[in-house]
Amino acid sequence: MGAAPVPLPGETLRAVAEAVLPAELGDDGRERAVAAFERWCEGLEPVAELSHPYLVPETRYSGPDPRPGWAAQLEGLDKECMSRHGVSLAGLDTAGRRKLLEQPLEGAGPGLGSPANGGHVAAALMAHFYSSPVATDLCYGVTIAKQQCRGLEGAGARPAMGAQP
Amino acid sequence: MTRVVESDVCIIGGGITAAMVAERLAERTSATITVIEAGGRTASLEERAGTRARMLAYGENPFPNDHIPDQTGTGEMYRQMVVGGSAMHWGGAVPRYSPEDFRLRSLYGVGFDWPISFDDIEPYYQEAEERIGVAGEQGPPDCDPRSKPYPMPPLPLSYNLARMREWTERAEVPFWTQPWARNTEPYRGRNVCERCDTCAVCPTGAKYTPDFAFDRLLADGRIGLVDRTLVRRLELEPGSDRIAVAHALDRAAPGDPVEFHAGTFVVAAGHAWSSHLLLLSATGRFPDGLANRTGNLGRYMTGHWYVSGYINLPMRLYPGIFANNSLLSHRFASPGPLDRYLRHDLRLWESGVGRQPRLRDDDGRLLWGDEIMADWRTRTESGATARIRAYYDVIPDGDSRLTLDAARTNSLGDPMPRIDYRAAQATLDLESHTRDTITGRFEHLARAADGTVRSTSGSRLFEHPGGGCRMGDDPATSVVDRWGRTHDHENLFVVGAPTIVSSGCANGTLTFCALSLMAAEEIGREMPA
Ligand SMILES: Cc1cc2nc3c(=O)[nH]c(=O)nc-3n(C[C@H](O)[C@H](O)[C@H](O)COP(=O)(O)OP(=O)(O)OC[C@H]3O[C@@H](n4cnc5c(N)ncnc54)[C@H](O)[C@@H]3O)c2cc1C
Repeated sequence: MGAAPVPLPGETLRAVAEAVLPAELGDDGRERAVAAFERWCEGLEPVAELSHPYLVPETRYSGPDPRPGWAAQLEGLDKECMSRHGVSLAGLDTAGRRKLLEQPLEGAGPGLGSPANGGHVAAALMAHFYSSPVATDLCYGVTIAKQQCRGLEGAGARPAMGAQP
Repeated sequence: MTRVVESDVCIIGGGITAAMVAERLAERTSATITVIEAGGRTASLEERAGTRARMLAYGENPFPNDHIPDQTGTGEMYRQMVVGGSAMHWGGAVPRYSPEDFRLRSLYGVGFDWPISFDDIEPYYQEAEERIGVAGEQGPPDCDPRSKPYPMPPLPLSYNLARMREWTERAEVPFWTQPWARNTEPYRGRNVCERCDTCAVCPTGAKYTPDFAFDRLLADGRIGLVDRTLVRRLELEPGSDRIAVAHALDRAAPGDPVEFHAGTFVVAAGHAWSSHLLLLSATGRFPDGLANRTGNLGRYMTGHWYVSGYINLPMRLYPGIFANNSLLSHRFASPGPLDRYLRHDLRLWESGVGRQPRLRDDDGRLLWGDEIMADWRTRTESGATARIRAYYDVIPDGDSRLTLDAARTNSLGDPMPRIDYRAAQATLDLESHTRDTITGRFEHLARAADGTVRSTSGSRLFEHPGGGCRMGDDPATSVVDRWGRTHDHENLFVVGAPTIVSSGCANGTLTFCALSLMAAEEIGREMPA
């Protein structure tokens, strides 16, 4: 266990989430996505031993701790917003927030990658959400519940319609 | 002070092949059995839900402490050294080899014949399937021969795989459900598969892992399991070619050497460490390693290569329903007469490739909020992707070798293994024909669905590796006989992967287990009932 994780500034993180996560999630769905990301951040162990790739005789480790950098990015965004627009990020409209995020996300994509890959906290938040079973179900409009232990029964049926965010 | 452990049978290695030998001998003889495993214990069944959650969230190894930091080699090798071996992590796909695999030279004029036929090994396949607990579907008998039904009904086809099977039927290529080492019914005290879809670590115990077998044998008092103990050398009886002692190091008490004395020694240390131990045990009369009078030890290291691809299908599928089930075909592993040699299997999976959420569209524009979801939906509604892979047979080469690497030693100063895999010239000569033909078959399949092949790639990773102690009737060209008994030492057996003659075009572990059970039958003949 390393040092206690640096908590991310919650209000700014939520302001980012409003700008980058789908609006169709609604306030509750978005809050659940942000809280899940925060829990994920809390549990993250930097330089942890990773699953061994098939037939690779060496051990692999995850990268350094991205959280201090993410906390600094959020603080920086807020300061920049303050100095440019005179309001905190949460006080800015969605279009303005996206404008501010464009430059930090310049090198990101085209794929979403893995949330732990470092990079920008906004990309990590999106990667975390879009890799979730919730996002998959929302996309397909059905309940697939990927990687949930679901029993063998029902595997052969078309998944039930109507996934809720 | 030296600790001495005595038993009738000493099994070196604690993976799946060791579990097969230990279980059969324990059931059918009254022999005392010691299993020695270099690694320790890893996550128990109760701990696996927790390690699974971390694997899903962070990609972490779900089996902590499953390897020995300074004990590793160069070349394709499993990292796992742990009670249960690499089958703690395995996916549990357990096809049999095809009858043709055992008669390549006679049937096709390439490679080598095995000293055994499919009919010889078939009862042991069945026994391995019963010990492991295999759920499978009988394929067409001409490409999936078996004398008895699978122990359990197959895993159900997901909605996705059922639609894909309808498509392959239009292409007139028979596919059936992959046999798996996963329970579809309660089996030997283990649970039914819950479709968690993380088979690398199964939180329910539905996937067979060898620790279950060891735990049962330990509870019944039928074996001694000495873990965290690395065998460093085998020693001969004075004036004889029989093995007398396995010298080992207790990794928890490195100052106190351990000697294992036994009437019969079984090396079940996997495809890399088995030859390695015999090479390390070189001694006066066997200067190039035990069981190596004819210089075959460490040679003919082998595995299969593959061509894989993704196929765009104009149908609506829902990836994630059951990613860890797949369709299998052995039609082209049993191809009948051939002008040019090519045998391969085919596997099909659901896939999300090319239809994942993304941050930028095709023009490189950043997508925000609802745009990502809309873009993702459009790409999933316009069709689906199937993943396809063909393992093909690689002809082993005598210079495909495992050697001792003086440049890389463990903390004890022992040289580590180095594997320089090579394919025989015959395989290299056939490679473009192989790839073109397989790609053509992918295209044929795609056309039957009005789909397209979106990408293909080839791999030269030697998958499901084996060799190094290959079996044969002739000591001049082999290390062990058909029972795994070394030609040079009457009480020394090598079992499983190291003894294969060729690696076919199917996942190998069921064959390694069947071969181990054959060896256990022979060993058992010399043991008290
Ligand atoms: C991620 C993954 C997925 C896989 N999926 C499949 C699959 O779906 N189907 C399939 O057929 N195969 C699969 N395999 C391969 C399969 O796991 C192996 O073929 C099989 O487990 C090999 O068993 P084994 O007993 O021969 O050797 P191992 O599992 O390697 O066990 C040998 C044991 O011997 C011990 N040992 C070695 N040297 C010594 C020594 N000197 N002293 C004491 N102990 C020693 C080692 O520590 C090790 O634990 C997979 C493997 C991996 C890693």
